[in-house]
Amino acid sequence: MSAHESTASGSAAPWTCPFCPLLCDGFGVATHAADWALVGSDCSRARTALSRFGSGAPSVQTMVDGVACDPDAAIAAAARVIEASRQPLFGGLGTDVAGARALYTLAARTGAICDAAGGAALWHGLHALQDRGAFTTTLAEVRARADLIVCFGALPDERYPEFRRRIGVVGGVADGRSAAQIIVLQPAHATLPAAQTAGSEAAPFDVVPFDGDLFDAAAMLAALVAGRTVGGDAASAPLAALAERLRAARYAVLVYETGRLPAQGALIVEAINRVVATLNQRTRAAALPLGGADGASTVNAVFTWLSGLPLRSRAAPIGLEHEPLRFDAQRLLADHAVDALLWIASYGTEPAPPQTDVPRIVLGHPSFAAAAQGRSTVFIPVSTPGIGSAGHLLRTDGSVMLPLHGVHDDGLPTVADVVKRLTQALQGAAP
Amino acid sequence: MSTLRLRGGRVFDPASGVDGQVRDLFVRDGRIVDLAPGEAASDEIDLAGCSVMAGGIDMHTHIGGGKVNLARLLLPEMQRSGPNPIALPSNPLELASCSGCTPGTLATGYRYVEMGYTAAFEPAMMACNARHAHMEMGDTPILDHGAYVMLGNDELFLQMLARGEDFQRVRDYVGWTVNAAKAMGVKVVNPGGISAFKFNQRKLDVDENHVHWQVTPRQVVHTLAKALRELGVPHPLHIHGSNLGVAGNIQSTLETIAALEGLPAHLTHVQFHAYGTEGPKKFSSAALQLAEAVNANPNVSIDVGQIMFGQTVTASGDTMRQHAQSGLASPRKWIGADIECEAGCGVVPFRYRDQNFVNALQWAIGLEIFLLVNDPWRVVLTTDHPNGGPFTSYPHLIRLLMDRSFRAEQLAKLHPDVAAHAALNSIKRELTLYEIAIMTRAAPARLLGLKDRGHLGAGAAADIAVYRDDADREAMFTTPAYVFKDGALVAREGRITATPVGGTHFVAPDYDRGIEKTLRKYHAAHGLVNFDQLAIGHDELCSCCNGGRLLPAACFEAAS
Repeated sequence: MSAHESTASGSAAPWTCPFCPLLCDGFGVATHAADWALVGSDCSRARTALSRFGSGAPSVQTMVDGVACDPDAAIAAAARVIEASRQPLFGGLGTDVAGARALYTLAARTGAICDAAGGAALWHGLHALQDRGAFTTTLAEVRARADLIVCFGALPDERYPEFRRRIGVVGGVADGRSAAQIIVLQPAHATLPAAQTAGSEAAPFDVVPFDGDLFDAAAMLAALVAGRTVGGDAASAPLAALAERLRAARYAVLVYETGRLPAQGALIVEAINRVVATLNQRTRAAALPLGGADGASTVNAVFTWLSGLPLRSRAAPIGLEHEPLRFDAQRLLADHAVDALLWIASYGTEPAPPQTDVPRIVLGHPSFAAAAQGRSTVFIPVSTPGIGSAGHLLRTDGSVMLPLHGVHDDGLPTVADVVKRLTQALQGAAP
Repeated sequence: MSTLRLRGGRVFDPASGVDGQVRDLFVRDGRIVDLAPGEAASDEIDLAGCSVMAGGIDMHTHIGGGKVNLARLLLPEMQRSGPNPIALPSNPLELASCSGCTPGTLATGYRYVEMGYTAAFEPAMMACNARHAHMEMGDTPILDHGAYVMLGNDELFLQMLARGEDFQRVRDYVGWTVNAAKAMGVKVVNPGGISAFKFNQRKLDVDENHVHWQVTPRQVVHTLAKALRELGVPHPLHIHGSNLGVAGNIQSTLETIAALEGLPAHLTHVQFHAYGTEGPKKFSSAALQLAEAVNANPNVSIDVGQIMFGQTVTASGDTMRQHAQSGLASPRKWIGADIECEAGCGVVPFRYRDQNFVNALQWAIGLEIFLLVNDPWRVVLTTDHPNGGPFTSYPHLIRLLMDRSFRAEQLAKLHPDVAAHAALNSIKRELTLYEIAIMTRAAPARLLGLKDRGHLGAGAAADIAVYRDDADREAMFTTPAYVFKDGALVAREGRITATPVGGTHFVAPDYDRGIEKTLRKYHAAHGLVNFDQLAIGHDELCSCCNGGRLLPAACFEAAS
């Protein structure tokens, strides 16, 4: 046995939590009891997601129009839906790299428009990126280097319970250095949840309040950091002080949650990126976006590398089109601009399949069976990457692709399996 | 058993010293074979009037991994064909994919193969994101591929150097990393400089200390080169040197060569590292100095990183230099990142303009380097795709190198100071087909340690490009008549005819596994990815690479 082989099988494989884009791999899951339990973490997000497995997972079958059928019949019915469609929409996109690879082939052959369930949130970051670019950092860099961390809007704890542990600021000291100072930039009227104010275990953090909305606050901060005077009234004083702290920091990190941003959130991201760019002229700084859950950023990455264009694109008869404003899944469904929906949701944490009168094919976690009962709906339960099957996901910082490991055999096909069969069925039907 | 005879082509196979002699080649089971006496071929293709070479090998092209994909995300406006969307492929074997300076992986595979290339190597894979790089390469159809893993800016390596740790342990760390990432070699980018930028250092000369770790690029380069030598990795250290793009950086490049103290190394995209400070604009060609150094140091090989005029995007691990040059971005936007205490990345779109003095001189410098280095076995043809220009410009570049009057015509169109004064004016050399075959297949195969690629001898993989002879070398190399990959016809007259999945080249050097204890502790203490997740096993590599064949290259007997 060569060295590399033995390395790969050196000890029990760790578990990568697939339920949030931090992709924690420092804790595990116990599957022997009926109710599955987290081992080594009390992450509420992971716990909620796991409650849909073990005894929490309904036993469901493939269905066509709410009637149980065998998988072959379901694939054939799904193929008929796609075949009859002049403009299919692939939505949800809750899958992993393998699922995305298979979906791209099908999308390219059918001219489908593709948009993730978190498409709007994804677009905030992408829009700002395409306008001006960005300078970002990763979890380990934050942990090693940051002396000032500014969270835009709120502490990420609610949606990312493991965040502060991951960046090493739980307990006040990490790796023998002083922990970074955390600042939360939030509306003056907002109150802190009790758990956040207690902060017994967590490092202390400061709150910088702002009047008005986050658009104004981020824009003012960008101006202040660049040395311009803004307003001059008392209301902007906390922001001016924050700007000073940013300018004095060795390595400042600006954290934002794409899923929390309001409509037109790209403008806030752009202001954050501008703060970072200004600071980097003299000191060091970087942004850290949190988002892209349920496979959204992974599928976006895979489609981008295969085709050269991100999601909200299609292989139209006139060519490859990227139309991020027009190709918003919610809008397309509301406008009846599509005539078939393939909805992918293999994690169970995605939104339920949209209720719509266009024919639906749902490849979903078993818990979505109830929402996929209706007429003109094909439902195929699929395996969850990182639970029932292996897979790969991209972490929130976009620079680390991690393997997912199955923890039990759920007996279900993967999204990639089903989509490949569907593609074959369509090719078989082609003249 | 079927045997294909490729009859009567002019064969250019520098590995065997074959220089344009008319010969038959025989292909069976994906390999080139000798025919036993009396044996007949079952199929035959007449190659009269054609030149036959091994499939092209691009040993430095950014085709896979995080930063190329960031470039794609940054520049959707480049994925257009004038005012229109890029048309869908007319070939049912192809899936829709954009070409241009940041092509999708699918188009990357198709376009390389249509030019007669059959292998390409990603030079800048991060260990923490190696899976991603392998996935993109696996989704690049037909081409075989491999990647060099980046070291020398990771905090652990710098810390080990700073502590004066036993060299054997550093070597084992390098060996472990190559194995874990399933790499074909190791690349160092701005040695120590990417890390230094994280500590707000803006410049790092070869003998300057990293502001935090107090080690110099000289130490980094020497240590890594020595480690690879001792590990027996066939491709020596792949070096993107200090001070990329800076006027006067020839000094850094010569010092980097000196730091090797005779150890083998490959200096990449040297065009960007061969600048002097003479003349009124304090920016001049140092191609002659560089070529003299390469000629005098047989331990050193280079690839050029030729620039081509027009729009492209520069994608580099060199955060320090990319930040410094981000003001030149065109269009004005760029992406940077500090990554996992290990690496960095900078993506800066760029338009090289022929009437810009610096760009015009960069163009001339690249060509001067090609033409002034004596030994073609140590010069590889690259544009550092997409940094100097897209790989699709190779046929044009080949014509510039082979056709002196064409070169003079192009030079005359450039910024007048360059057109009038470039040393390139006085260089008469025209490369031959034999030399082109060396620079585009035989040399890269040899420099990578690929024993059965880059040549046409019996036993070699039947990766073959057949070009119809044409005095216009650009036309000739744009559209080969036939391209075979492992014996299968994959392109005919510029049209893809089959899309097999390419294989993955990697090396697996031996090392002392005692180092894993240190690595495990380090990863846990710094909140990095779980140590047990890092190493990519064979099965996982295969799934990352889309089920392509695994092609381990042999290491040589370690010479310590």
